[in-house]
Amino acid sequence: MMNTRREVLMFAGGSAVGVLFTPAPWRLITDTALWSENWPGIPAPARGEIRARYTNCSLCAAGCAVRARCVGDQPVQLTGVTSHPLSHGALCPFGLAGHHLPYLPSRVKQGSAKEAAAAVAEAIAKCGPAEHVVTLDLRPARTASWTYRRAMAAVRNGRYVATSGDADIAVDLSQARTVLSFGVPVLDGWGTPGNVNAARSGFRLIQIEAVESRTASMADQWLRIRPGSEDALAQALAGQTTLSAAADATGLTVPEIAGLMTLLEQNGPVLVLGSSRLASGGRTVIARREAPVPAEWQKAAPVTALASLPDRSVRVLLIDESAPDGYVPWNIIEKKLVADSAVVVALAWSREGYARHANFVLPVGVYPEVADDIPPALDSVAATFRLASPLVAAPVGIVKPEQFVATAAGLSIADTLRERADAIHKSARGTLLTYADAKSQALKEVTADAFWKALNAGGCWIDAADEKAPVAKLTVATAEAAPNEQSDLPLAVVLSRELAPGSPILSKVYQESNLRLAPNRVALHPSCGIEDGSPADFATLLGKCRVAVTLDAAVPPGVVQVSTSPAVLDLCAAGARAKVVRV
Amino acid sequence: MALGAGWLAFPRVIYRSRPQPVNFSHKVHADKAGVKCEDCHAFRDDGTFAGAPSLDKCAGCHAAPMGTTAAEKNFIDEYVTPNREPQWSAYARQPENVSFSHSAHVKRAKMACETCHGNTGATDSLRPFQVDRISGYTRDIWRVPNTPHGMKMADCVACHHQKGLEHSCLDCHK
Repeated sequence: MMNTRREVLMFAGGSAVGVLFTPAPWRLITDTALWSENWPGIPAPARGEIRARYTNCSLCAAGCAVRARCVGDQPVQLTGVTSHPLSHGALCPFGLAGHHLPYLPSRVKQGSAKEAAAAVAEAIAKCGPAEHVVTLDLRPARTASWTYRRAMAAVRNGRYVATSGDADIAVDLSQARTVLSFGVPVLDGWGTPGNVNAARSGFRLIQIEAVESRTASMADQWLRIRPGSEDALAQALAGQTTLSAAADATGLTVPEIAGLMTLLEQNGPVLVLGSSRLASGGRTVIARREAPVPAEWQKAAPVTALASLPDRSVRVLLIDESAPDGYVPWNIIEKKLVADSAVVVALAWSREGYARHANFVLPVGVYPEVADDIPPALDSVAATFRLASPLVAAPVGIVKPEQFVATAAGLSIADTLRERADAIHKSARGTLLTYADAKSQALKEVTADAFWKALNAGGCWIDAADEKAPVAKLTVATAEAAPNEQSDLPLAVVLSRELAPGSPILSKVYQESNLRLAPNRVALHPSCGIEDGSPADFATLLGKCRVAVTLDAAVPPGVVQVSTSPAVLDLCAAGARAKVVRV
Repeated sequence: MALGAGWLAFPRVIYRSRPQPVNFSHKVHADKAGVKCEDCHAFRDDGTFAGAPSLDKCAGCHAAPMGTTAAEKNFIDEYVTPNREPQWSAYARQPENVSFSHSAHVKRAKMACETCHGNTGATDSLRPFQVDRISGYTRDIWRVPNTPHGMKMADCVACHHQKGLEHSCLDCHK
């Protein structure tokens, strides 16, 4: 039987009309719409049991106590622990989003540890009598730091270099009635946020700064001075120069400086931050003993200042960048390396830092993937020992920095954190605070195993009160040197506060809203003649890099405020001058 | 022919079907063991709903076979003895973009389980789990068996509307 074209068309048309009277086409439309709600890449909430886990934030040395709300094994929300005596339940914005950090787009994910170890071993064997093997630690006073010191003691000509020291000095904010800050971001990242907030009502904050920073805008008194003139003002306050000379240098008036002197005299004790010229008063800066370590660790190498190493003397440089609290500009480090075949290994999770210069870059875990201890916070009057316990599994292939360095030095190590905890327990000093139940008990009432378990489950050891000797002064940030006048570099460089490593999501929000300068941005006064958002070359005597310009009325004319990302820091020596040219 | 395909063949083709791991009888547990819904589908201490019980809960009674049925033997051999969690498929799972609180509906609004889950608690065996091939939504979202409604957004809104409750977007779509 042959069907005519008319019959085929009628059949097709009838079917099409008939189908419209069934649920099929309408359901397909609905299903397609629903399918589009579940495309790959659309975030799906985790499923599983909801529970709380506790840890300590290791994004910075404040080490705030953290309560993580987890769905299954996935942390979905971080909050503070109110029972903690220092962090008081507060977390900074980066800490609140710390669980995003493992997903940082620029994260280092691979690197050959075997090749790096072989190159290091070969270089150590070739190391001459005047050459050094150096471990650079960007967060000293950890248990890992002790391992580095022991490793460097085991290597001929080994040196342990730390970017910041003074772990045995602490600030007691509760004793201060006046805080005189030379550019230190007291209310914006300095110290432990919860502790600073708790003590804030007890002191008057005077901020000396060229730029209207967030701390300046929230201070009781902000004295805008010329960039680089901090030391001139400090000299005047110390009686080492005349008020009129200081007024000429800083741009303040003589009555303003005299008034400041009177205020400091009448409102002591005064805590001075950011100036090495002035001493703090009363017991605002105190000596703090370190948490005990096993006796056999005491044979470790001492802390060496990078500046004390002769130029062209470092053959092997191992950099632990897993917890980057400080950054030494590469131009300073590069001068110390031997001219031929120096081996530089960066143990890093980000490609933004020393990974740009190293021969080998090895991936390391980030918070909250790996266990690490956090040195006592600057504003913690007692020594502490707390662990950043992992909340999520670390990816395959990451390297443990202390294991790599110890192996390279031929040092055999076991579970150093446990050894340190046992040494603390043996001392029977202080108290153990457990976060889950907010319970504080004397350490001598706890067994060693229970102590270790509590530290891993979210706890903190706090040292017993000690007879603390007042310390003369504290320098936590160096005042910039007076700028050298150069006509071709018209702008004085002011560094914004260092950007903590944080959530890629939060960073985007933070930076795009101009709450923080993004790593590739500089801020200029609106009168600079460059449009907001324009690309430009930022140039100093040390080189130049491409940046984007943000216009900010808080930055005075003649000043460029730069983000303290490693790429920019490499170009900025103290008191640097710069020019910004639109491209 | 088109009507037949649309009404009869299409519903069979659009859903992918898979059996549950264990031929579980709600009826036996309710009648013989006197178990209530909340005994197994419990709320945690923090008020969140635990969903299907874990193997620990089952093994509390079924550490050894209770009876001689094939289903019982299979459950012991396949799951209890090797301590392997049965991978239950949730008939009533809402899509990922919905935040549904059992606590608010059961504890606060005192709704009976049957309102949304039909007579599942009285069934003698578990029907196959059926999921839409395109959208990924379960069949129960469209129509809860033995009830006149499903668990689509319109059904939720209708119930809230009927009871004079708020029904703004962010109540469910957080």
